[in-house]
Amino acid sequence: MHMADALLSPAVGGTMWAVAAGLTAYSAKKLKDSPDESRVPLMGVLGAFIFAAQMINFSIPVTGSSGHIGGGMILAILLGPYAAFLVLVSVLTVQALFFADGGLLALGCNIFNMGFFPCFIAYPFIYLKIAGQNPTRKKILLAATLSAVIGLQLGAFSVVLETMASGISELPFKTFVLLMQPIHLAIGFIEGLITTAVVTFVWQARPEVLEASSRKTGLRGISMKKVLTGLALAAVVTGGVFSWFASSYPDGLEWSMARTSGSEELEAPEGGIHAILSSLQEKSAFLPDYGFRKAPANETETAMEEPAHWPAVDPGTSVSGLVGGGLTLLLAGMAGILLRRLSSGRN
Amino acid sequence: MSHHFLDVADLCFAYPDGTEALNGVSFRLEHGEAVGLVGANGAGKSTMLLALAGLVLPSGGTVNVGGTILAKNTVGEIRKRMGFVFQDPEDQLFMPTVFDDVAFGPLNQGLSLPEVSSRVRESLEGVGAAHLSERPTYRLSGGEKRAVAIATVLSMLPDILVMDEPSSGLDPKGRRLLIELLKKFTHTRLVATHDLDLVMEACPRTIVLHEGKVAADGPSREIFENAELLERCHLEPPLCMQGKC
Amino acid sequence: MGRVDPSLFSPSYAQGSGQSNRPDPRAFWIVTFAFVLTVTSFGKYEISRLTPLFFYPVAITTLYGVSARSLLRKALFVLPFALFVGLFNPLFDRQALLVVGGYAISGGWVSFFSITMRSLLAVTSAILLVMTTPFDRLCLGLEKMRVPRVLVTQLQFLYRYMFLLRGEALRMVRAHDLRAQGNKPKIALSTAGSMIGLLLLRALDRATRVHRAMLVRGFDGEVRVLQPLGFSWSRDGVFTLAWILFFALVRFVNLPEWLFGWVVGK
Repeated sequence: MHMADALLSPAVGGTMWAVAAGLTAYSAKKLKDSPDESRVPLMGVLGAFIFAAQMINFSIPVTGSSGHIGGGMILAILLGPYAAFLVLVSVLTVQALFFADGGLLALGCNIFNMGFFPCFIAYPFIYLKIAGQNPTRKKILLAATLSAVIGLQLGAFSVVLETMASGISELPFKTFVLLMQPIHLAIGFIEGLITTAVVTFVWQARPEVLEASSRKTGLRGISMKKVLTGLALAAVVTGGVFSWFASSYPDGLEWSMARTSGSEELEAPEGGIHAILSSLQEKSAFLPDYGFRKAPANETETAMEEPAHWPAVDPGTSVSGLVGGGLTLLLAGMAGILLRRLSSGRN
Repeated sequence: MSHHFLDVADLCFAYPDGTEALNGVSFRLEHGEAVGLVGANGAGKSTMLLALAGLVLPSGGTVNVGGTILAKNTVGEIRKRMGFVFQDPEDQLFMPTVFDDVAFGPLNQGLSLPEVSSRVRESLEGVGAAHLSERPTYRLSGGEKRAVAIATVLSMLPDILVMDEPSSGLDPKGRRLLIELLKKFTHTRLVATHDLDLVMEACPRTIVLHEGKVAADGPSREIFENAELLERCHLEPPLCMQGKC
Repeated sequence: MGRVDPSLFSPSYAQGSGQSNRPDPRAFWIVTFAFVLTVTSFGKYEISRLTPLFFYPVAITTLYGVSARSLLRKALFVLPFALFVGLFNPLFDRQALLVVGGYAISGGWVSFFSITMRSLLAVTSAILLVMTTPFDRLCLGLEKMRVPRVLVTQLQFLYRYMFLLRGEALRMVRAHDLRAQGNKPKIALSTAGSMIGLLLLRALDRATRVHRAMLVRGFDGEVRVLQPLGFSWSRDGVFTLAWILFFALVRFVNLPEWLFGWVVGK
């Protein structure tokens, strides 16, 4: 589910980086305010643990294919949201640098998609609510599965939004959503199952571990339950509404979103390839046949298609801007409200 | 300096589940002594080391390091005087490079940068690992890790060195180097180990722990010649005394 | 995720020798980010204008003695995933965009190729970062650039223990396979749960032991670092500026077309 640099535009990438940096700075400050020196080795070792745990590939029931754990929920359970978030930042950074998972620009997106949702939404508002006090096997199963599913749904949807707003991929919104959400629903279930298996094991082998964690990290006193559950639901619902929204528009929506950045570059796109070819081969009569168009009307075929490629209006200000910007604002706004609630809820 | 002594009096410790690990342990180490601490698994060696380091709170008794009694508010002071080398060097080498690790202690002591650098250099030279200074800690061999782990403690210039199973996992050469190092040190040394031959070579005095108590405390040779004692404490004489080879 | 780059197990990246000749890690970070920004700022049908950017990995590998072959190998590792990501484009964008020797190529294929190139370029620049600079120096660079100390320490500890714990996991899987059925044993989900759980408990124990080792050496919560980094304007400033100017040139001037024009003799 990692967002890739190749599909990202600098604007979207930069925006998400700003969000990720803000969340990171905020979490770091929160940790500074409640110092605990045993946390330093703990966070480091648990980060390393995530990489190790991901080496244990298990077979997924029914399908027979293999999968591995993500680990975000386990981190949140053991460390609480702020420390877990920072550990995830470090894990994603190492993945981007050493495993080519995503990229450096996409790192901001990935930190948001895969760090924010498990730590600041799924964990406090789903996991803790269900299995925070007096955990039982059933509660853990429900809590872990629901958290994983919702966290991954939100994360996957964010990937869709970031990709659409970047305009490099041709995937239409509807198709993309129909591809991403169901797949990540399945992945979420599996993640829930394996997380349950691990948490149950730890809980039975050494229950004091979980107890100590919840004492250290427990977000007590979050009273605006309804508001917050509502906000979480809103994110999911928003996704649904927008996919309806997008599909009720003609293809023109997707085409215009997709074509913007391509338009002004079409003037002489292939000069480079042919320069290379020409230097590799003799300058034969072959070259003039390339007739590379400076203006749209040279080749009749292409001329016919050009109008679709060359929209009169700059779609950057219309739908893609609205959809992408609006949703980013919504998510960022949610983040701000929730985090404020988290910190005031502690008192 | 005659105040570098370690006096343990009637030390007791019980685990939360009730198991008594230390049942009134008493002994005294004078400046410069090299003492081996032996005993079967579960006799209480590791627990005692943790208690000496102030990492577990004894339920009774005192630990007196050069006149300072170990307590919550003196733990920092004591740790400056007593250096601990734990069993697994992987736990002790947690910084990116060897230099960083050996510098960790002095930096925490608040020393200036040039002072720290010279301490690091001297400690690494002392264990024969000066050439490893820039190496990442995860890229060391077992023997190198062990040597560097000792250096990380030496750089704090402790008066007393406490070591837990220093020779475990070392190849013969590494072990030999370790023994030579131990013989070379002038610190007061307490070495908890199963390696009885190392004790014979490097520790003139031995303390035997059995079921949380001191079962014997005296010259190493005498102790290892006492068959009945060894039998009772689930021990054997060192291989060099068994004459089987 | 989970793909293992085998060389990670014995990272011979960024050997210590010659480090003082290399640019400060901050310069490398900045240049790498500028590079990725340049790559991603191109329109989606751009292929030729991306090509001059390959000059960057070529130059870096040559200048700093990084093995180009090993860089290529690592970058090609990524290729299948890059291809998958762009694969939908040819499906959805079928309008002919250009004609080559009588064949019409759809926009989808053009953007697919562009995506592949972007992937390669972006990945290469990240790999170059870790191949030219030891990870802990990269972290020091981050700290000097005001990244919170908590995060920098976290990165260092994570990296330090990653190899150890992965080794433990590998041994666990091996022990499982030796007692499991079949030629390619599979781990059941419940078994994986206890394996991972055990790994977790051992990790927690290790964290406790490391914490103890830190305490006996006077740790009070703050990890103090000694190694200073020296940013030299003549070396690092020039490095950074030169590359940024080059990227800007590539971005705003159609170098390949210019080259074509020059070669064809306009």
